Amino acid sequence: MTPEELQALSVDKTVDARGTSCPGPLLAAKRGMPQVPMNGIMEVLSSDEGTKRDIPLWCKKIGHEYLGDREADGDFIIYVRRMK
Amino acid sequence: MAERMVIVAFSGSPDKMFSMATLCSGAIAQDMEVDIYLMTWGVHAFRRDIAKTDQPYSEHDELRQTVEENAAKLNLSPWYEMLEDLKELGELRIHACSTSPKLHGVGLEDLLDIVDDVVGAVEIISAAQTADVHFYI
Repeated sequence: MTPEELQALSVDKTVDARGTSCPGPLLAAKRGMPQVPMNGIMEVLSSDEGTKRDIPLWCKKIGHEYLGDREADGDFIIYVRRMK
Repeated sequence: MAERMVIVAFSGSPDKMFSMATLCSGAIAQDMEVDIYLMTWGVHAFRRDIAKTDQPYSEHDELRQTVEENAAKLNLSPWYEMLEDLKELGELRIHACSTSPKLHGVGLEDLLDIVDDVVGAVEIISAAQTADVHFYI
């Protein structure tokens, strides 16, 4: 998805993990996912560049759908659809 | 059946414990089960009277203050708090090799509460044989 398409998504849950470092954002995503309805979308805000690489791998392993990421004001916003 | 990671922690310096806790975080995030087996200095690190005190780094101890200041800026928890959180979040078990506490003159009761039990060498090897990911620290 393009950054514009990602920005237009209706998000069900926002996890703000900015200011934490790896593995903080990934664990925050894991903690937040149960609060997302099935097929709902979670966005993870992170200032840690490693999160951009970890979240897609995490999605592949767990079975969620990684939708993409975009940058905003120097931070990263990663979008995930809950699939299980 | 969940994938499983086994870590044998021979070392016990805070820099290595932090790296170990970081690896555990990645595994727990992926719903892997994690078993840590503490041996020798790994047991020493988990002593109640040692864990939360200033201990030397295994490498570049002269940079310890700088690293700890930067860790604080990054909101990184101490390694033992990271492990406490991970035990609540997933399947993390911490075992002490049965001989190692005796080398330090301590028992299971002298180790942090996050240490679950004491095990023998055969159990450690058996666990490693059947795990998907292994680390020796």
